[in-house]
Amino acid sequence: MNVALDARRLKAAEEFRAAGVPHRRMEAWKYSDLRPLIDAEQVASAPAAQWSIEAEGVELFDPAAGEGAFAGIMGEASLAFATATLGLRVKAAGRVRIAFATPGQARLRIVLDDGARLDYVESAPGGGLQNIGTEIVLGRGARMTHARLAQRAGGARIGDVSVTVAEGGCYRLHCADFGSDLSRLELDIKLRGIGAQAHLSGTSVLAQGLHADVTTHVDHAAGDTCSTQLFKLVAADKARAVYQGRITVRQGADGSDSRQTAKGLLLAERAEIDLKPELEIFADEVKCAHGAAVGDLDADSLFYLRSRGIADDEARALLIRAFLAEPLDEVEDEAMRAALWAAIEDALPGAMGQP
Amino acid sequence: MLEIKDLHAAVDGKEILKGLSLTVNAGEVHAIMGPNGSGKSTLSYVLAGRAGYKITSGSIRYRGEDLAALAPEERAAKGIFLAMQYPVEIPGVTTLTFLKTALNAQRRARGESELDAMGVLKRVRARASELKVSEEMLKRALNVGFSGGEKKRLEILQMALFEPRLAILDETDSGLDIDALKLVAEGVNALRAPERAMLVITHYQRLLQYIVPDRVHVLSAGRIVREGGPELAHELEAKGYEDIVRSAA
Amino acid sequence: MAAVETREKVSALAEKYKYGFVTDIEMERAPKGLSEDTVRYISAKKGEPDWMLAWRLSAFRRWVEMREPNWARVHYPKIDYQDAYYYAAPKNTPAKQSLDEVDPKLLETYNKLGIPLSEQMLLAGVAVDAVFDSVSVATTFKAKLNEAGVIFCPISEAIRDHPDLVRKYLGTVVPVTDNFFSTLNSAVFSDGTFVFVPKGVRCPMELSTYFRINASETGQFERTLIIADEGSYVSYLEGCTAPKRDENQLHAAVVELVALDGAEIKYSTVQNWYPGDEEGKGGIYNFVTKRGDCRGRDSKISWTQVETGSAITWKYPSCILRGDNSVGEFYSIAIANHYQQADTGTKMIHLGRNTRSRIVSKGISAGRAQNTYRGLVSVHPKAANARNHTQCDSLLIGKQCGAHTVPYIESRNPSARIEHEATTSKIAEDQLFYCLQRGINPEEAVALIVNGFCKEVLQQLPMEFAVEAQKLVGISLEGSVG
Repeated sequence: MNVALDARRLKAAEEFRAAGVPHRRMEAWKYSDLRPLIDAEQVASAPAAQWSIEAEGVELFDPAAGEGAFAGIMGEASLAFATATLGLRVKAAGRVRIAFATPGQARLRIVLDDGARLDYVESAPGGGLQNIGTEIVLGRGARMTHARLAQRAGGARIGDVSVTVAEGGCYRLHCADFGSDLSRLELDIKLRGIGAQAHLSGTSVLAQGLHADVTTHVDHAAGDTCSTQLFKLVAADKARAVYQGRITVRQGADGSDSRQTAKGLLLAERAEIDLKPELEIFADEVKCAHGAAVGDLDADSLFYLRSRGIADDEARALLIRAFLAEPLDEVEDEAMRAALWAAIEDALPGAMGQP
Repeated sequence: MLEIKDLHAAVDGKEILKGLSLTVNAGEVHAIMGPNGSGKSTLSYVLAGRAGYKITSGSIRYRGEDLAALAPEERAAKGIFLAMQYPVEIPGVTTLTFLKTALNAQRRARGESELDAMGVLKRVRARASELKVSEEMLKRALNVGFSGGEKKRLEILQMALFEPRLAILDETDSGLDIDALKLVAEGVNALRAPERAMLVITHYQRLLQYIVPDRVHVLSAGRIVREGGPELAHELEAKGYEDIVRSAA
Repeated sequence: MAAVETREKVSALAEKYKYGFVTDIEMERAPKGLSEDTVRYISAKKGEPDWMLAWRLSAFRRWVEMREPNWARVHYPKIDYQDAYYYAAPKNTPAKQSLDEVDPKLLETYNKLGIPLSEQMLLAGVAVDAVFDSVSVATTFKAKLNEAGVIFCPISEAIRDHPDLVRKYLGTVVPVTDNFFSTLNSAVFSDGTFVFVPKGVRCPMELSTYFRINASETGQFERTLIIADEGSYVSYLEGCTAPKRDENQLHAAVVELVALDGAEIKYSTVQNWYPGDEEGKGGIYNFVTKRGDCRGRDSKISWTQVETGSAITWKYPSCILRGDNSVGEFYSIAIANHYQQADTGTKMIHLGRNTRSRIVSKGISAGRAQNTYRGLVSVHPKAANARNHTQCDSLLIGKQCGAHTVPYIESRNPSARIEHEATTSKIAEDQLFYCLQRGINPEEAVALIVNGFCKEVLQQLPMEFAVEAQKLVGISLEGSVG
């Protein structure tokens, strides 16, 4: 494949070269250090990712013409270096199931025309270096449901998703991350039109020395926009779960409503949870609130369950499921919700320190 | 005391009052009745000078003075009191602090000496017991966590404390049970005086059983469509607004 | 018509930063600029022992290699560190044995500031150390404090009279090379306050330092060190003002607190440095490092700050909760109006078991100001059962200001509990109207509502200062509605 590097790609390559592989001394990557895992050359020469896709109601196109806005530096890298590219256009209603089959780099561009709908499920198993940059453009009144399943894996797995939502559009995301040596989903969402909405939810369930980082930036750039976020993190063993969420309300984006909740359940002495829920407000007619908390399982609840004859392990599992239930309830598709619960059930014994 | 002539007023560019005229003399109690959306609350806010309530034509004279030229706090100092339908919560500001600040602001504006905390407390206490406003309520943040009845009682307490010349009671009966209604009405009746006028705004005739007005005005679509004595309230209760408004039209 | 009148009233009021006068007094200055010679000059002026000079020089040599931090949400033109004076003192000011020896002009200055220094006139039970530009000009109530064994003196005096204590603690909480501004301070600090409260002593009165910048083109670099020995208690308050000037002046202070077993330090600040004018011209750059070390078991350090002044505020009074069962508190009101920028918050570092911390931050933004809360709660692996609760509320007045919240929460102990809540709101139109209807004018109404918003923090201030702080809240917001 010999894609000419147009100006935008060139700029992306320059930006990546200037910044280098993200590391913990960069504010945005404070809790996720990529440098011990990969170097810049590996990113630049990462192989093309391969995938299998089931798609209905979508048109495929080649997004190589270098449009593209990305959330972070690894998104720029995907634009600069990915040789595997995919464009999806939805005119009315579409359904996509995509499973990345190998590590490697890819760049996707998804466009929903005005009033279109898309149900999009992505599975990112990781292994080695996986860097998937996805640019999503929602037209007026378009609605997209995005589910991302990041299975337990090794290596560095990066998902970089940039979304722009036009007037009256709505983007919903649920991500489930079971960790990797370094796993990160970075989301940059611009609510560009009046009444645009974004609803984000997710869970990270981590054991061993695994890592998962959800980093979001929701930018309320127009009036009467609305965003909600609900993330629950469980870290056991030596795992590290990270949530960074920044909400911006720009001057003039009056009537914006933004809520954000991040909760961590820390289950072991050597595990770590880091939360950074950030507000950046330049308008006064807004409702903004965020809450964050970290703790372990509630001792009173545990005792109550055990006093009713439920064994310790079972009681703990019950309480962890209860902790995770709220974000999963945000998933509307029943089959998807069942699949996510099944993945959590698989991960639970590990998270509870069982082999 | 109050002379409103052909008053037109708009909110957000939409005309709500459309040629309202009304005269209230000292010592009188007037009731303004009307269906939802007839402009009752708009009238009360225009009289109190709330931002966003714009007089487009007509005039309001209060004790010979053009009311429109005065800021809300100046109107308050000159004796206009509005008991609000939804008294506002102000977290962190204790009720007593608020009463002291307001009372002294009015006194200062009138060139009277300010009262110290004890002086204010004395005056508040003298009026609090009959309205069942407890000391504990006075220590809580203004209206925060107060029940509907507590809020309305506190409004009447403020009215008693500030001794206004023109008291406007905006739907003071809303959200009150019968006992609370009686208590509030007694508080209001105790304040009837030859030098004081009252404008009682209400949707229902119920409150007027306890606060018997000298005159009743029916407001519809921004204008007064009928006037009468206290018996008009009973007629309204029996026939409903629709009939009265239609026959007046 | 009423609105126009209000606006006129408001702009008249906004003129009155009432501490903006200059005292005309003969000054002695170090030559302009910063070099090893400047450091030697300051040390020599103070008659310091060699170890102190060596300490300063090591700081200076590190500072030369350091870079100014740029991570805070504050913007200002590059500071030319060579274009300022680093030492300015009223002439003839060796340590005073009695107030009679103090230049009457200085006494008058402090009277005008509302800090009468004559002992008879002082608020009952408050001892004051007055720092004028680079030196301490008066310390009151010394005799009474001596009786209790409390040392309360200018730090320059402590270096001479209590070298062992100073050497033992100075730089142990904020290391010499902690950050750019603290390192600069370590090199050139000229005076400040030293407090030592001996074992088991409850300091018999509030201690207070009053900082005053007077000279132009002069930085102020004071250094405060407070040590509370086992089982002792002290409450300390600092106040700050400066003249109105079109230039920006640098203030880079360092405050170190050490609380040993069972000791408690309550540290309150009312910061009212000149904030600049309504166009954002002039004002103090307030780059301050404040840190407390709960070194002993069951110790407690509580910071309360009311930050209303300065063009730029960059400060994060922090607690290192090293001792088991130790407690850290941070109560903050930060008001930014016109073009002020504030980036302030705290760090609570939980190292010991059963350590607890509480953060209450109230940020108010008006005009074109930007106000940022930045805070870290970090629980280390050994801090079993650590607890933190953070409440962070922002209030916006007007459409051109910003309110930002940047909390970092890092937990590495499963038995720890951390909770963080944040809200952003504005003064509701109905709240304002309710106050106006009851006869309260707009300025007073805003002051009343904002004071209500800040109540939880104001309650933490010593009684004598709470009333002043409430007034200051109102004054700082003048011109924010109209």
